[in-house]
Amino acid sequence: MPTLKKLTIIWVLAALGLSFASQVSYDSWRRYSPGKIGVDYNVYIEPQPPSPAIARGLSFGANEALADWYWLTLIQYYGGGTPNGKYRKLAEMFDLVTELAPKFASVYETGLVILPGEGFADEAIALGAKGERNLPNSWQPPYYTGLVHHIYKKDYLAAAQAFDRAARSPDAPANAKYFAGIYYAEANSRQTAYLIFKNISESSDSELVRERATKYLGQLELMFFLEEVIDRFQARYNRLPTDLSELVRVDLLKSIPTNPLGRVLEINPQSGEVQEQKK
Amino acid sequence: MTTTLKALGGRLRGQIRLIWLIGLNTFKETIRDRILYLIVVFSIIVIAATLLAASVSLGQDVRVIKSFGLQAMLFLLLVITVFSGTQLIWREIERQTIYFILTKPVSREIWLLGKYLGLALTVTLVGLIMGTEFLILLKVKGVLELIPTIATICFILLESYLVIAISLFFSSFAAPLSSAIYTFLVVLVGHSSSTLWLISQKASPAIKYLLETIYYLFPNLEKFNLRNELIYGLTVDRAQLLAVLGYFVGYSLVLLLLALAAARRGEY
Repeated sequence: MPTLKKLTIIWVLAALGLSFASQVSYDSWRRYSPGKIGVDYNVYIEPQPPSPAIARGLSFGANEALADWYWLTLIQYYGGGTPNGKYRKLAEMFDLVTELAPKFASVYETGLVILPGEGFADEAIALGAKGERNLPNSWQPPYYTGLVHHIYKKDYLAAAQAFDRAARSPDAPANAKYFAGIYYAEANSRQTAYLIFKNISESSDSELVRERATKYLGQLELMFFLEEVIDRFQARYNRLPTDLSELVRVDLLKSIPTNPLGRVLEINPQSGEVQEQKK
Repeated sequence: MTTTLKALGGRLRGQIRLIWLIGLNTFKETIRDRILYLIVVFSIIVIAATLLAASVSLGQDVRVIKSFGLQAMLFLLLVITVFSGTQLIWREIERQTIYFILTKPVSREIWLLGKYLGLALTVTLVGLIMGTEFLILLKVKGVLELIPTIATICFILLESYLVIAISLFFSSFAAPLSSAIYTFLVVLVGHSSSTLWLISQKASPAIKYLLETIYYLFPNLEKFNLRNELIYGLTVDRAQLLAVLGYFVGYSLVLLLLALAAARRGEY
């Protein structure tokens, strides 16, 4: 006949076993059962961030601590692997954290690096814009936004403008101006690019940046010079030259000057402008 | 004239001594509730949890330690304040010890002020223990900015003293559970003051007037919140400190005077 004490121990062990088994079963259901519960996405593993207004209203002054809480949740979410192919709540999480802690600089940088790769390029750009508003003296938000415009949107003018804004911050790396110049050139805002490169070549602390900017400046000057010669050709023959070597053949040039950047230049057959040969 | 002044001075000294004695007694009583053990164990858990959270924060460990640590400190102090503060008066009535005290030459006002002082001493001790732990943690991490951190902790203590006054005010006329709930709600409203103000500025004139009245009527506990600023390198401004101190003194006085008035009515 078991004593009451023994019975109690047996019951406690049984109850512990039951709670453990239920926990394991619940976890398996949460993690692996989207198909079975009839949803195309497992809402049980992804965070469900509240709207920023609600979160702010209910933070009761602990908005920075709450932002940190959601920051840790975001890291766990992103670090936990993609649930069903897409981090649906990633952009919302970045938005929420930066609404709760508008001056949390590192979140903007991380968001601008991570979000575009996960299919949130527009949200990343919006995050960058928010970062520029909330941290007006920081060069990072526009700098990283510039990269997003370049890599994910192929919008070189917007990239150039973003780098230009970054370069206005006193702590900005010297290459911000340099990048602005490159992208203005890519976007064909060559006059702006010229001014920026000129400024960099005269003012940058970095010898490498100065040297590179001078070479870009040289290429732009070469392009402007060649376009003047093309104008003279057009005035004489009433058509565009077929290529740059024709300018030499008709004696408008003795030879084609060397491009300091070493890139091959060509004439755009539509506009007559000189451009870098597409690779 | 001089004799009258001397007599008055002597009486005042006597009353201050009485307040001190009751305060000391209340302090011992609350400490005897094993509050300190609980706090020490809990704060060790909080520090461990904070360090763990900081370690997975992608290089934001200092930020997380500061925000979680200070928030936990405020939370713990408020828990002690709300629960002890609302129990203090009730317990004396329940055990009927208040009648024993009031038969002595001790007025209800002195007794209530003593209670306030006693709980303030407990909160100060607990705040000092947790504050020291926090300072050591930051020092070990090599990120201690001494003056701003001490100012932030002092403001947390000031807020707790104000909440003691709130809880004593409520418990001077309400049952312990009700006064704990009222105090808790007032603390929540007090920390939503900026939201309240923002909503009032967008509301229709009548609602705006109502919300602004609530804004000025309820304690603005966000004034004591330097916790958010400490994360971004707080610079302590003397004018701000004085304004907050003035607010603390003014608002606490109002609450204590109202609580004293309730005590004088002799509802217990």
